[in-house]
This record gives sequence, structure tokens and C-alpha cells, in this order.
Amino acid sequence: MCDQPVRNTNEVRWQKVLYKRQPFPDNYVDQRFLEELRKNIYARKYQYWAVVFESSVVIQQLCSVCVFVVIWWYMDEGLLAPLWLFGTGLASSLIGYILFDFIDGGKGRKKSGRTRWADLKSALVFITFTYGFSPVLKTLTESVSTDTIYAMSVFMLLGHLIFFDYGANAAIVSSTLSLNMAIFASVCLASRLPRSLHAFIMVTFAIQIFALWPMLQKKLKACTPRSYVGVTLLFAFSALGGLLSISGVGAVLFALLLVSVSFLCPFYLIRLQLFKENIHGPWDEAEIKEDLSRFLS
Amino acid sequence: MACRTEAEPSRRPLDALACTSTEECPTAPTGSHSVCMVSDFFYPNMGGVESHIYQLSQCLIERGHKVIIITHAYGNRKGVRYLTNGLKVYYLPLKVMYNQSTATTLFHSLPLLRYIFVRERISIIHAHSSFSAMAHDALFHGKTMGLQTVFTDHSLFGFADVSSVLTNKLLTVSLCDTNHIICVSYTSKENTVLRAALNPEIVSVIPNAVDPTDFTPDPRQRKKDMVTIVVISRLVYRKGTDLLCGIIPELCLKYPDLNFIIGGEGPKRIILEEVRERYQLHDRVRLLGALEHKDVRNVLVQGHIFLNTSLTEAFCMAIVEAASCGLQVVSTRVGGIPEVLPESLIILCEPSVKSLCQGLEKAIAQLKSGELPTPEKIHGVVKTFYTWRNVAERTEKVYDRVIGEAVLSIDQRLDRLMSHCGSVTGCIFALLAVFNILFLIFLRWITPDSLIDVAVDASGPLSSWPLPQCSPRDKMNPHSNEDSET
Repeated sequence: MCDQPVRNTNEVRWQKVLYKRQPFPDNYVDQRFLEELRKNIYARKYQYWAVVFESSVVIQQLCSVCVFVVIWWYMDEGLLAPLWLFGTGLASSLIGYILFDFIDGGKGRKKSGRTRWADLKSALVFITFTYGFSPVLKTLTESVSTDTIYAMSVFMLLGHLIFFDYGANAAIVSSTLSLNMAIFASVCLASRLPRSLHAFIMVTFAIQIFALWPMLQKKLKACTPRSYVGVTLLFAFSALGGLLSISGVGAVLFALLLVSVSFLCPFYLIRLQLFKENIHGPWDEAEIKEDLSRFLS
Repeated sequence: MACRTEAEPSRRPLDALACTSTEECPTAPTGSHSVCMVSDFFYPNMGGVESHIYQLSQCLIERGHKVIIITHAYGNRKGVRYLTNGLKVYYLPLKVMYNQSTATTLFHSLPLLRYIFVRERISIIHAHSSFSAMAHDALFHGKTMGLQTVFTDHSLFGFADVSSVLTNKLLTVSLCDTNHIICVSYTSKENTVLRAALNPEIVSVIPNAVDPTDFTPDPRQRKKDMVTIVVISRLVYRKGTDLLCGIIPELCLKYPDLNFIIGGEGPKRIILEEVRERYQLHDRVRLLGALEHKDVRNVLVQGHIFLNTSLTEAFCMAIVEAASCGLQVVSTRVGGIPEVLPESLIILCEPSVKSLCQGLEKAIAQLKSGELPTPEKIHGVVKTFYTWRNVAERTEKVYDRVIGEAVLSIDQRLDRLMSHCGSVTGCIFALLAVFNILFLIFLRWITPDSLIDVAVDASGPLSSWPLPQCSPRDKMNPHSNEDSET
């Protein structure tokens, strides 16, 4: 301890070992203290435009929710014929289906080993069942107040946005939960539409925009980034246009949201990186880098 | 409250110590301290912290200090118990929340702890383990009551994830006005200084110890024509059980005369069993399950090589125990492990299957060529490294230093909290500290210190216990010495 006279400090060099009795007090602080400290070794350098490009995933999802709500509003007001929506949806689904295989030259299909017949079967099963159950969907929430339905839909759509898989590796991400919340919201909203045909078409549309569209987007983004940017812009503007036809204020606010997500947030992220102080040292838990599953499978 | 109902004086002969107020009591001679060890982790729980507290207390009693231990009730074990040499243990009736740690509200334990601190005339509070809520509570109350505080940190923590950010903040608050901190290795000191933003001058490094007489070599237990690798650890991710699953098949295929003995229990046991099943190694890999502390030595002496695959470790007693039994140690180079044994006794590897296999192969080659020193020789070297008496001696110096320091006054303490722990957290905890002081004043008004009975000392200079037979080497076997329960 410090009350002991410190001897031989000049001749004996302090060693970072515990098994030797060293002529230093126990609270001695050597020059080598914290010499193995490393800062920010895993910190990533971000490029502004690369982050802006990545933020388009969020933009797409925000626009999907916006388009969905706008379409529902038009249906609810009776301004949009359900069969027209069904026809357009079916046509764009077909185009998307062809594009999906066309973009990567059928590589993804070969990898998954899924046949077209299987795709057709699941599509038919889904459409038949939704059509069959649409009268039930229609009357499912009759006893629930409309305000409750709206509130629930808002929470579910927010949840969908929060848990959606934007490509981040975080515990909160759950694409299943996200999709389920979106479908739940669509069922809630569909039950407020005038007829069961409306409800059926609304749920089908929800599947198309929340389940199928993100899959196509992912592939577009990976294979043809340029066209992906174009599609995102087009989608964003059409969503804005749709919103503008309902509410001007809403459209302005939504446009501000999109601009801040895609341009301000990346800027802020890069600025905040300057304040990053991630500490690493010998006390960190070691990571097992090898793949150990080969010993077990 | 357990301590109020205690009928201690009727069981133990009373003499001059039966005084009713602190003023009338004979004061302890200078140089001897009244220490109160506080931790959630104590016997009947078993582990590094538990045996550290027990052994350190025994050696401090041997050196003439008064030591009591406070922990929470374990099942039926509550009230006051006496262990070897009059080591008094208070098992307080506090609710256990998670992993044997008590819940904390920061206030509810004050009445009980204050009562004990007063009746035992405690001058130093020594809290153990940053996982123990009770230890932090005791530090908080101790500072409120103007007592000296010491804290021993037994574990390493990262900085990256949310949970460690939060716990590190709490540690900063808890340690910012603690007098002295003890860490078990230099790596642990660096870690604690960074986590709690401390001045490194008030952090001492005092390693853990191993009782060398418990861990003696016995080469006759080894199989002559076989090479045996021993692993003793809990089978959990942090101890690197996944690495072990890669090492076993790799080496067993290569060396037909190789055996593994694995002691310990845990959630990862299942994958070891899968590996054993898949490679048909039932006769060569023995899984012993959970071991009692007294059986560890008998397992260790059956092996030639000890393997430690931990991914993080502040000190690692296991490798010292193994080396003391004369085994060649192969270990991962993580945490404080490189500081523990000299290079001649340990082969350090990176935490990967490949590197550990290379290390083990090197050890096997040395063993077969007879290059390794004999177990007795290794034991002779290791037994001088770490002893509990040395630990106690160094801890005593910390106490000597701390007792001479001034305890922060209320305004200084609030100042320190607000300037040291960030504006938001600092202010919140300063407010809580004020509440704690008011609560203490209220308690003092309800039962003044002078009305609290002074306990009969069972250890220390005024002990009424039969003189200790100076055997800190007694096994941690408190059953044999329990004589009172309330």
C-alpha cells in the first residue's frame, strides 16, 4: 500500500503479473496502465449518399402504409370501384411476378427449388379462402366501436413500421410480427368497408403491398440499384399525390417526414459518429468466430 | 426483524461486554478493525465470491480483526449463524429477485442494516461483487451513516450493449464516493476504472487465492498409458463450452490414447452429449455433472492436462487450482488470465478451436517426450503464488488506509454525486441520498443509537469466543460449526 516506502522503483520494472510479489504498492498505477485500450475499432465510416440510398427502404415502407390508407379511404368513400382495384392489383402482381424471376435470371428460384405450380397453388388457395371468409371478415368487428378500430389500426401500422426488417441486425426486428400487424390492421379497416367484396379486395391488396412488394423491392435493390432509386422516387411521389387529393396539410407533413428521413437523418447520423467512443480492451468477452455447427450436424 | 428477536445473550456467557450503550463499551485497540462484509452471495451458494468472502474473513479474524458477514436468507437459513472461529453471519429476510440477488429499492434495507451496523459497532463496510444489489445498498447506507466503505469487484463487464451501459452507470453512482476499491487482477482494475470513471489511485489490485494444501498432486491417480485432459467449469456459453465441442472430436480422432474428463453442469451440457453421441466417444469422454468443491481435487489429479476455454474471466481460480495439482494448463488468452500464471506453467491460446487444439497438441507432445516438470515441482512453484494470508494482509493495508480518510460530509457527497455521475443521473441520486439521510434521521428518532443493544463480539480483540485455533485452511464447511440460529 501507499504507506509503505516504495523501493527499487527505478531499477525494477513493474510487470502486469499477479504471481510475483512486486515492490510496488497495490494501488500503484504504471505508465502502461490502459495501454491495451482501443477505441472505435469496429466503428464504420459512413458515406452520406450511401446512407441516403439505404434510407430508401424506410421511405418505401412509409409510402406503402400511406398508399394503403389512401386506397382504403377511397374505397370507404365509394370513389374507387373494388373490381377496378382488384384488376389493377392482379395485373401489377403478374408483372411483379415476372420481374421477380427476370431480374436475377431465375437464380433465386433455382436456389429455393420452388416450382411455379406451387406458387400458383398457394395463390389460388389464398384467394379462395379469403373470398370464402370475407363475409366473416365483414361482420367480425361489428360489435367494436369504429374509433377503437381506427386506433387499433394506427397502432398496428406503427408496429408494422417499427418491427419491419429494414436490414438491421437488431433484436427488435421481426418480419413475421411486422407482417402480422399489417394484416391485422388491414382486416380491421376492411371490416368497416360497405360490402364483403370490398373487404376481400382490401385484404388481398394488403397482402400484395405488405408481403409481396417488399420481396420484389429487396431483389430490385440488390440487383439493379439504379432502377430501385427510380422506383422509390416514383412510389414516393404517387403516395404524396394520393395523399394530396385527400388532405393538403397531411401531404405537406408527409413530404417533410420523407425529406427528413432520407436527407436529414443521414446527415445527423454522420455528425453523431464524431462523438462515438466505443471502448475495447482485454476485458471484452471473446467472440467465437468459427462455425462450430459442423461438429454437430 | 431477525436481529431484534435474537436471543444471543442467553446462549453465550456474558461478561464485561454486556453493556447497553456504545459509550460505555471498551473500545477496540487501535490497528484492529470492525469489518462488515456484505454480499448477496454467500454460503450455501457456492462460487468464487462466496469462498473469497469466507476465506478472507477467516484470515482477518486470525489477524485479530472483528468480522461479520451480512447476506440474504437462503430458504430456511435465516437469522444469525456462527461459522468457524466465531465468524458471525446475518442472513437477512430480504426478497430475492433474480440470480440470488436481492431486489433493491435503495431504502427498505436501511432499518435492518443500520441496526446491525450500530449494534456491531462496525467501522468499515466491505461490499463484494457488482452483481449484488445488497452490496450496493450497504455502500449507500454506509456512506449515509458516515462509515468507511470498501468495494471488491470480482467480474469483468463490456461496454457495448445496452445492459452494460445501464449497469456501468449504476456502478459509477455507487462507487463515486466509495473510499477504496479492490480488484482481483490488473485487467479487472482497468475495466473497473473505465466503467465507474474512477481515479486509479484508489483502486488496489489484490488477487484471489487458492488454498495450496487443498490442491496437492497425486500422480498415482493418473492412468499410465493414457493422456487425460480435465475440464472443470460450468457448461455455459461464457465458459466456452462451444469451443470444447469442437476440440473433443478433433483431438480424439487424432490421438487414440486421449481421454476427456469434464466436470460441471449447465445448459450447454446437451451439446457435449450430442458430440459424444455423434462421434461414439462414450468410453473416452466422461461427463461428471456438477461437482462439490471438495471433489474437485480428486478429479483434477486424474488428469495430465487442464483445459480452460473461458471467453471472459477476471482472475480464473480454476487454472491455479489445476496448476497446484501439478497439471499442465492450456487456456484461452482472455481477461486477466495472462497475469495469473507464469509462461512456463501455462500455454495460452487464442479463443478458437484451431489455436486451442495446437496448444493441446503442444502440451501432449511435451508430456510424451517427458519435457514437462513433475507435478510435485509444479505444485512447489504454484503454492507460493497465492495464499489467503497474503490476501488478508494486503486487504488489511487497504483498511488501514481507509480508516484514516475522512468520510465525505453530506454537502461534499451531494457535490460529488452531481459533478461525477452526469447531470441527470447525478441529480436523481443526490435526491435519493437526501431522502436516505432524512430516513436515517427518522429512524434515529424512533430508536436512538443509544437504545440499540451492543452485540457480543464473536471475533476480534474483544471476542468472547474461545481463542481461534488459527486454521484458515479449514474447508469451507460451516455445518460443523453452526451453533446458534434464531
